Formats: sequence, structure tokens, C-alpha cells
Amino acid sequence: MVEYVLFRQRLRSMYSGSSFYILFSLIAAIFFGFILSIIACLFTATSITEFIDEIRSPEIISSILISLETSFVVVILALFFGIPTAYFLATKQFRGSSILDTLIDIPIIFPPLVCGLAILIAFGGQGVFRHFEVLFTIKGIIIAQLFVASPFLIRSTRTAFESINPDTINAARTLGASEFYTFRKISLPLARNGIISGVVMTWSRALGEFGATAMVAGCIPYRTETMTIGIYMHAMSGNLGASVALSLFLVGFAFIMLIIFKSYGRYNDPSG
Amino acid sequence: MIHLDDICKSFGNEDVLRSLNLHVKKGEMFVLLGASGCGKTTALSIIAGLEKEDSGDVYVDGTLMNGLPAEKREIGFVFQNNALFPHLNVHENVEFGLKARRMDNRGKVKRALEIVGLDGFDNKNPMKLSGGEQQRVALARTLVTEPRCILMDEPLSNLDAIVRERLRYEMKRIQKEIGITSIFVTHDQTEAMMLGDRIAVMNKGSIEESGTPEKIFYKPDKEFVARFIGMKNIFNGKIVSLDENEGVMNITTENFDLTAVFMPLDEGTHVKACIRPEEIILMKSNQKMSARNEIMGKIVSIFPNGVLMRIVVDVCGSSFSVDITRLAEHNMELKIGNDVVLTFKACSVHLIS
Repeated sequence: MVEYVLFRQRLRSMYSGSSFYILFSLIAAIFFGFILSIIACLFTATSITEFIDEIRSPEIISSILISLETSFVVVILALFFGIPTAYFLATKQFRGSSILDTLIDIPIIFPPLVCGLAILIAFGGQGVFRHFEVLFTIKGIIIAQLFVASPFLIRSTRTAFESINPDTINAARTLGASEFYTFRKISLPLARNGIISGVVMTWSRALGEFGATAMVAGCIPYRTETMTIGIYMHAMSGNLGASVALSLFLVGFAFIMLIIFKSYGRYNDPSG
Repeated sequence: MIHLDDICKSFGNEDVLRSLNLHVKKGEMFVLLGASGCGKTTALSIIAGLEKEDSGDVYVDGTLMNGLPAEKREIGFVFQNNALFPHLNVHENVEFGLKARRMDNRGKVKRALEIVGLDGFDNKNPMKLSGGEQQRVALARTLVTEPRCILMDEPLSNLDAIVRERLRYEMKRIQKEIGITSIFVTHDQTEAMMLGDRIAVMNKGSIEESGTPEKIFYKPDKEFVARFIGMKNIFNGKIVSLDENEGVMNITTENFDLTAVFMPLDEGTHVKACIRPEEIILMKSNQKMSARNEIMGKIVSIFPNGVLMRIVVDVCGSSFSVDITRLAEHNMELKIGNDVVLTFKACSVHLIS
């Protein structure tokens, strides 16, 4: 680590001042300027009074509540299914484990719209799960978000489990701990930071999910309108103020959650 | 106490253990000595229940262990990398086994930490301790659960030399104090010699030879063992005559003759004659010595070998390695090409028949 930092420092002192270095920093500056000005436009499109007015409208409050409720349930479900799956993938090597591995990544690679279409077919009139009646309901939103967002939790948690030294687990076993006890007292606490960052990614993905959700649950105000769907609907119907207010709320909320989780993870870092 | 009967284990196409047999007596410190990759760690893992044997039986205290999960075996294990729980402090680490087994822990953690000399370290973060201290915590954590026996997998090999030596003494002391049956795995001969009540030398997944340190280091029965423990001078020879009155016998090798202590062997028997490098006296001129063996040769190389100097001497095409002190080498002003005389006693010649 120290060597790496020293290497970076040396590289920096080597290149600063050269025309090569100046050219590359200019390109980087243009890129950052582009991104920053776009984000700034979002913040300058509204005033505080307008923001407060918009955010208090019943339709927007309803969409915020639907988003929070569904994403919270999605995180809980992702933890329930994701942690055992991640542990299984991290500890068992078998024929076909790489296929399973790829399967987990499919929802990340597939366009959300396609995921949504697949769910629509599976739960639709002729689908295998047609008896569940989830289309155009809150349950549909949850399924769509879970499908798209849970792989993030699985990947991150799995990496955390993989980085635990097997001897640490073996030591617990020889000291008389059953597999369940070892998992609860050793594996889970040691994988905690990976699980937390997985939760952050899954949650923000679920909150930001649009394509699959729209496909499965439609865009019914007060019933299946999440924050992102609201943003789209209001923007398309010309009500830009409501769209911007929702966007700012979404961004602010995600940012605050990120800070809370990051600091929580850091202060409790087991390796001190 | 610990019995391994014909244990076989392979990973894929590689046979790691080939019919391994082992008998460890109650209360002894048994050292498994072998080069890396000879199957030592796998053997320990199978005894502890961390690996499953392909065939063969494991008995501890007369009970068949096969199929019993690790947590039910009550066998302590100390790992090479200490395997402490990084999210728990020293006290919680030591307490872990007691809690997992729902054992009464009043005063036990404190006593265990006292035994390993870490009294008062309870609230420290184990990751911030020195390597030696970490290994002490690992030992305390294992001892506190009062296991039937304790298996140690190269616990000292990641430590620096000074700490290693001190901890070696302490491990021996603690083991004798508690009287716990132990298997200690190492590739370090000095460690094996110092710690072991008995030593087994392992090679390619089975035991080559086992016995007391004295036996293994000075009178091994197998050429592999002789080479492994550093008998550099091993020569093929044949017994040409026996002199029972003098208590000696004469041996001829390809390039020179030797005298060894009498053994009940027939004339004409093929033997391997082994002489430890430090048992040979090297001189520049031929002085009168009481030693039976006197061989002339020429120095071909001189290099440091630990604290000693290794002198390689060519004797009519055979190569002798001799270890002498640095001071002796300096005083004699030895140079490559010097003619020298090698002398050693008849009892320094160990024969493998």
C-alpha cells in the first residue's frame, strides 16, 4: 500500500508540467465541467418555495412513500435471499458454479426494460407464475426491483465472504462452534462492510429503478407510481417543477443514506 | 492416544497421503517433520476433522473419529497464521470456544492468558499485537477449551528468529506443564530436535521413519532421513573385514576405506556410510590423532553455512562436506586447492544397511 502511494507520488511529480500532462488534465477538466454543469442545472431549475410547494402535493408524497416502502422491502428480501446465496457461491466450488455466477450477473447486464418484460411474461396471462396476480400492484414493483437490484448485494457480500481466511472459519470449528454458530459469530461480522455496501448499492438501485418497474407495475398515480416513474410522468406531461422537486428529493435522500452507511461502516471496521 | 491407520487422501490426481500410519502416545510432544508439500498439514486437518479422509481410520483416545464434524472432536488446532478473530478482542477470542461449547468460563480466560504470559491483554485488539503475542493468544484460545489433544501446524514459522526461539521454549514448557498430547508440524530440524519427545519424518504422504530425536538425527535407518536431517556425507560401501576384538569393521567405498564400530553384519554386506559434517576434524598437516579414520583430500570450495563454515573436500572423486568454526577456518588460513587431512572416529560413522 505504501509502495503504491509512493509510486503514485513519483508518477505525479514525473508528469506535472509536461505538455502530455497538461493536455490530459484539460480533457479531464472538460469532462468534469460538463458533468457538474448538468447537475447544477437540476439545482437551479427550481427555487426553495417552489420545491416545498411541489413536494407537499399528495401525488408526490404518495410516490415518495411507495418508493420508500418498496425499496425497504426489497432490501430486506435481498438480504434474506442474497446472504445465503453469496455464502454458497463464495465457499462451494463445483461443476457449474461459474454458470450460476453468470446467472447472478444477468440482471446487471440485461437492460431493465428487458428484465421487466421477462417478469411481465412470467407473471402474465400465460406465465408460470400467473396465479400470483402481481402485475400493476405494489408486489409487482417489489419483484421488479428485487430482480434488478439484488445482484449488487450478492456480488458485494460474496466478495466479502471470499476474503475471509478459511483458517479463521476452521479455527472456530475446532473450538467447538457449529456451522450456524460460526456463520453468525464469525462470517457475518467479518463480511459486514461488504454487506453494508451491498445494501447501499441495492437500495439506491431499487430507488432509482424505472424501466422494469414501469413495465411490470405500469404508471398508476397513487397506486404504482414510484419516485422515478413520477419524475418521468411529470416531465412528459410538462410539469417540470414537480419532476425537479422529486429528483432533488431522490438525490438528497440517496446521498444522506450513503453518508450514514459509509460512516457506520468506517467506525465499526473490525480490522481497526 | 492418537492413532492413524492407513490414511489415504488425494486432491484430484495428486495423492497427498499414501497409507499414513501414526501412533502418538498420551502426554507426548510428537513432531511431524517434513518438507513443504509432503502432506503434514493435510494429516493434521484430517485428525481435526477439517478434511475428510478418502480411506483409513482416525482414533483419538480409543474413539473412532471418522465422520465426526470438527466441532464435536474436541481437538485443539493452532494455525500457522494464528487465525485469530479480527473483530473480537483478546478476551473474546479466548472466550470464543467456551461460549461455543456453553462451558463454564469463570476465571478460565484469565488463567489461560496467564499460562501464555499475556495477563492483562484482555481488551487489546489482536491485530495490533506482535506475531509472537498473536500466536500466544491462539494457544490460549485453544488450551482454554481443555481439548483432548492439540495439533500445531507450523505455529512458529512466520515469526522472526529471536521470537521463534523464545516461543519454542515456552511451548515446550507449557506442553509439559499441562501434559497435553500434542502433534507439532514443522519443516525446521532445529525446532523438531528441540521440541519433540519423538519425531516422525514424512515424505510423499507417508512416514519414512519415527523415533527419538537422538535416533532420527544421529542413527537414522533410512537414507532419505539421513539426507533430510543434513548428513551431507553419505557413501555407498561394502564391509570387507570384521575385527570383533578391536570392536571395529573395515569398509571400502569406491574411492577410500573407512573404519566403523562393529555391528553384527556379514562380510560383503553393502552399506551406506554416513558421517555428519560437524563430526569431522580438518587439518592442514598430518598430526597424530587417536581417531581411526584419516583421509587425504583437496579443498574445492569454502562458504558460510549458518554460523559455521562449510569446507567441501574432494577425496579421489568423492566429495566430503566438513563444518568448522569461522575462527578455525581463519586460523588455518584455508584456501581452495589446499591439501588437507580429514579425521573422524569410528563411532562417527553411522551405517545404513
